[in-house]
Amino acid sequence: MQRIVSQVDTTSQDFRLNELHNRRLAAELKERQRSARFDRPTRDIERLRRQNKLFVRDRIEALLDPETPFLELSTLAGNKAYDGEVPCAGQIVGLGIVAGREVIVHADDASVKGGAWYPLSVKKIVRALDIAIENRLMVVHLCDCAGGFLPLQAEFFADRYHAGRILRNQSVLAKMGVPQVAIVMGHCSAGGAYVPALSDYNIIVRGTGAIFLGGPPVVEAATGEVVSAEELGGADMHTRVSGTSDYFATCEKHAIAIARDIVARIKRPTKEAIDQSAPEPPVYNASELYGIIPKDPRVQFNILEIIARLVDGSRFHEYQPCYDRSLICGFARLHGYQIGVIANNGVLQNHSVLKGAHFIQLCDENRTPLLFLQNTTGFMVGREYEHGGITKHGANLIMAVSAASVPKLTVICNGSHGAGTYAMAGRAFDPRFLFTWPQSRISAMGAEQAAGVLTHVKARQLARDGGRLSDQELAAIREPIMKEYRARSSAYYATSELWDDGILDPVDTRDALLIALSASLNTPIEAPRYGVFRM
Amino acid sequence: MQKLPFDTVLIANRGEIAVRIIKTLRKLGLRSAIIYHEVDAATLAVSMADTAIALEGSSPIAAYLDAEQIIASARRANVGALHPGYGFLSESAEFARAVASAGITFVGPTPESIELMGDKIRARRFVQQAGFPVAPAAVEEDEPETFVSRARDLGLPLLVKPSAGGGGKGMQIVRDLGTLDDAIAQARREGLRYFGDGRLYVERCAEKPRHIEVQVLGDSFGNVVHLFERECSVQRRFQKIIEETPSPALSAELRKRVCEVAVGVARNANYRNAGTVEFIFDGHEFYFLEMNTRLQVEHPVTEMVTGIDLVAEQLHVAAGHELALSQSDIVSNGHAIEVRLYAEAPEREYAPTTGKILMLEYPECEGVRIDSGIVQGQKITTAFDPMLAKIVVHSATRREAALKAAHVMRQLVLLGCETNADFLARLLMDDTFLSGQIHTGYLDENPHLAIGQCGSDLPAILAAAALLTKPVRDSADAVPKLHAELGKWRN
Amino acid sequence: MRHSFALNAESYELWLSPGQRDYRLHFGGEVIAPVALSHHFNGSGMLEIASETVSVRFAIDGDVLHLHIHGRTHILRYRDQLREFDLSEVLASHDAAQAPMPGVVVAVRVSRGDAVSPGATLMLVESMKLEFVVRAPRGGVVDRVHFEVGESFEQGAALVTFSDERR
Repeated sequence: MQRIVSQVDTTSQDFRLNELHNRRLAAELKERQRSARFDRPTRDIERLRRQNKLFVRDRIEALLDPETPFLELSTLAGNKAYDGEVPCAGQIVGLGIVAGREVIVHADDASVKGGAWYPLSVKKIVRALDIAIENRLMVVHLCDCAGGFLPLQAEFFADRYHAGRILRNQSVLAKMGVPQVAIVMGHCSAGGAYVPALSDYNIIVRGTGAIFLGGPPVVEAATGEVVSAEELGGADMHTRVSGTSDYFATCEKHAIAIARDIVARIKRPTKEAIDQSAPEPPVYNASELYGIIPKDPRVQFNILEIIARLVDGSRFHEYQPCYDRSLICGFARLHGYQIGVIANNGVLQNHSVLKGAHFIQLCDENRTPLLFLQNTTGFMVGREYEHGGITKHGANLIMAVSAASVPKLTVICNGSHGAGTYAMAGRAFDPRFLFTWPQSRISAMGAEQAAGVLTHVKARQLARDGGRLSDQELAAIREPIMKEYRARSSAYYATSELWDDGILDPVDTRDALLIALSASLNTPIEAPRYGVFRM
Repeated sequence: MQKLPFDTVLIANRGEIAVRIIKTLRKLGLRSAIIYHEVDAATLAVSMADTAIALEGSSPIAAYLDAEQIIASARRANVGALHPGYGFLSESAEFARAVASAGITFVGPTPESIELMGDKIRARRFVQQAGFPVAPAAVEEDEPETFVSRARDLGLPLLVKPSAGGGGKGMQIVRDLGTLDDAIAQARREGLRYFGDGRLYVERCAEKPRHIEVQVLGDSFGNVVHLFERECSVQRRFQKIIEETPSPALSAELRKRVCEVAVGVARNANYRNAGTVEFIFDGHEFYFLEMNTRLQVEHPVTEMVTGIDLVAEQLHVAAGHELALSQSDIVSNGHAIEVRLYAEAPEREYAPTTGKILMLEYPECEGVRIDSGIVQGQKITTAFDPMLAKIVVHSATRREAALKAAHVMRQLVLLGCETNADFLARLLMDDTFLSGQIHTGYLDENPHLAIGQCGSDLPAILAAAALLTKPVRDSADAVPKLHAELGKWRN
Repeated sequence: MRHSFALNAESYELWLSPGQRDYRLHFGGEVIAPVALSHHFNGSGMLEIASETVSVRFAIDGDVLHLHIHGRTHILRYRDQLREFDLSEVLASHDAAQAPMPGVVVAVRVSRGDAVSPGATLMLVESMKLEFVVRAPRGGVVDRVHFEVGESFEQGAALVTFSDERR
């Protein structure tokens, strides 16, 4: 495979300006993540200490094998919701190594609203379990949840993907033979009570752990019975009387040791044997990504420069290198695993769409996982393109993306708009993992175009009433629309709403993809099969 | 050497000394018989002896102290002589008599000598009357009412000793007169417990006293020779741990004087057998301490520098032969140091340790003699004295001998039971020890010597421990290669 | 995972992580690499540690490891986390030997004031036509024997209770 020869001039003014800008964005991301992870009101930290509970991050560190990676997912979930008072949506989810096994860790954060479930908490847990199902990953639940946040129950209780889905997903995992281990480190009440109960193994911590459908206040209100939490659903009761819990732990560290010992008993899944060779780092330094991603997102850049800084040895076998390079397709390796890369170099056009649909099928046939690198304003519009059948071709690409059996990974590098979002394995198309970069924007249409359309509509309404707008008036309408639109198409908004699995610092992308790809190979890849393509 | 009138010798002992005696018996073409308690069935001495006879006993120690059973065993094995070794019944006049009346040669002094020297107060008086120096003392039985006030008048520091004592048992040091009463009470209790005798005496002890002893050898014809001195000042809890000859404290003149005193004491007592006359030396004067009427633990240092086999000499004189050695035949060459390898933890106040010997390797080295009674697989219990082996090194100079001994202590591998090996190596290389400025309070004054530090070896120790422990290796091996390469990566 | 060894009354937390063909040792904030042990048979091996090679003699006795390195012997004990947590539990709360099932006392082997070590036989009991031994869950002094020979008891009943060892 040929090495990509970088055309980037790392000494240029543009490079330096981009670098400055992108490093600032990365620093901002890190700071926001740090704050979401660790900034807590003193009283909440004090309460944990009083209760003799470890901070959730320390629990996770104790659970994971030392000197192994932890790919935390959706750290900034909820960052634009609930006035920012529910950092990380009160949940920590990530891919880590426990007793040498790849697991999904799901932990309630009792330092955030007592671990209460908000609508986005539920969405994050459901997503964690979806990941477990899709990738056959064992789950370790660290349970410490006061229950659902009732004022918002209408947003997380009854619907298909609401809290019931957590229990349904747990049951599906059980049916698939993917084990779950739960540690009850705090109260698990109401729906939360089923999380340990639906786990194959559960451990309960003396003194702090409790499981019950209704806590003492609920019991008293319902039946007048006065009972302590310990008596109602404490560790002693559940391990000696009800049998709801399997293991009694004297403290959290003990519980974690037991959990690790359980995980160590579990058979490792056999990884799907895709083509693999010896791993090799990229030739070009990942930090150069900062100078390549333009500070103005509207400026075009060569996606090959990105590929060169992600894949093994910066080697890339380009497919159809002479045919419409607005979409780059080709083979590369990630830590030795062969992958197919599909990357935008601008707007999707007729030929590039055909090339993409074809390449996906080749990869699927060859058991080659797919990596989508998104940077597109969408499909080209206009008479010439419609005549050329761009909608028909687009349908084929969407069908190929949807139906491909191999694992798909998606990174939104810059713009993700219109049907391009879909055709490039957007969230709705179930890529195993989807990450974004800090500057990326995702929306049905670019902000300028959207603001233009919206302003146009508004002006027309006013015109019907006989009015005519001055340029100043138009600008006054346009400005708040733009602002609102920008805010809601930012990476931070997307991640707040869990449209992705997290924002990555670009330099972390390769490692995150390695972890994600390795996890995705736990599931056998089904034989390729597609519907009828529109020819 | 003249022919001995017996061909089989019973060893009424165990461990290293039994092994050491068997070696001489073999050399002399004699057969060995040994008695043993079942806890010692798998020991080296039992396997080396030509005949081994098991003893019954309520405890292992009780078995080795059961004179009646031992003599019966000796009869059964049809032995001509019995060697008591050291400790156990070696200084029991009653036992010596019983052995003799069973028609068996007791390889030791006459019962009368044992009795005389066994009673420390009698021995003291005897030596004093013969005109030899003894330390200022107050003997309780001289006038019990004034005992305490006489003791006070001696001046500090004082040493309270049981009259029937030996081996440091029951001894109490008094540095403050306020503690004298307590020390007397405790010494009396221990005297009663260990020796069944509560009589006491108090001696003034010297500041920085050194323990010097002289090896003597006497026959039934009144001949007595000395084999020079040994210094045993490095002690912990009144027990010797390093012994050497010659003493670095003595000039030729002082050496001559102390050896002559020792020979005089032995000759006055009509002493037959190997014996040791012990003195306290304060830098100027020697004071008689006691006489041990048996082979000493530390006898090998004397053998190393003189080339004389003391056990062979014991057998020779016990058989009634005249000493073949004259004083002028006996020459001391070079320097010898013995260290005692104990199953004990110096850093925990020399608490005895137990275990099973899982690996035992002694280095083989010119000029090194190791008297050991232990074998791999043997269990070390608290049933007996915690001494495992003696390492004896012979070199041209004291410094060479000490450094060589330290080297041997580091080469020696004994795994399975904590020992004082490293402590001994530290002592041997300590500047104070090497300078020769030692005294019986040396270890008490330098408590830091008891504490070992892992220091720069810690990483290697932990690395080896980690690599040898399966769960530690397993948890590293379990990590997938990719994730191991990423290490503690966080996004 | 993090492992712990006791050495000279100190506790050391450490772990290994895999290197290319060997391991890396982590302890006390330090990383020492590479570490490897080769040719280890009959209690003898060569330890490679950060490009130095050291001869090691060793003997393993359960969780106790005896090492001879650089002329010195060291005794380490592997502290199994699960057992240590369990032990603390036993010491903290098990003041009684409890009946695992209902039964009848066949014989009593201890009486009030007896000092017992963990695992000592306390009673013989019969249940479902099977005889089994009730053992001391911890060391201590017998405070009370709750049932005499011939008496029957329910599951979970305290059969023998303990107090702390006499001073």
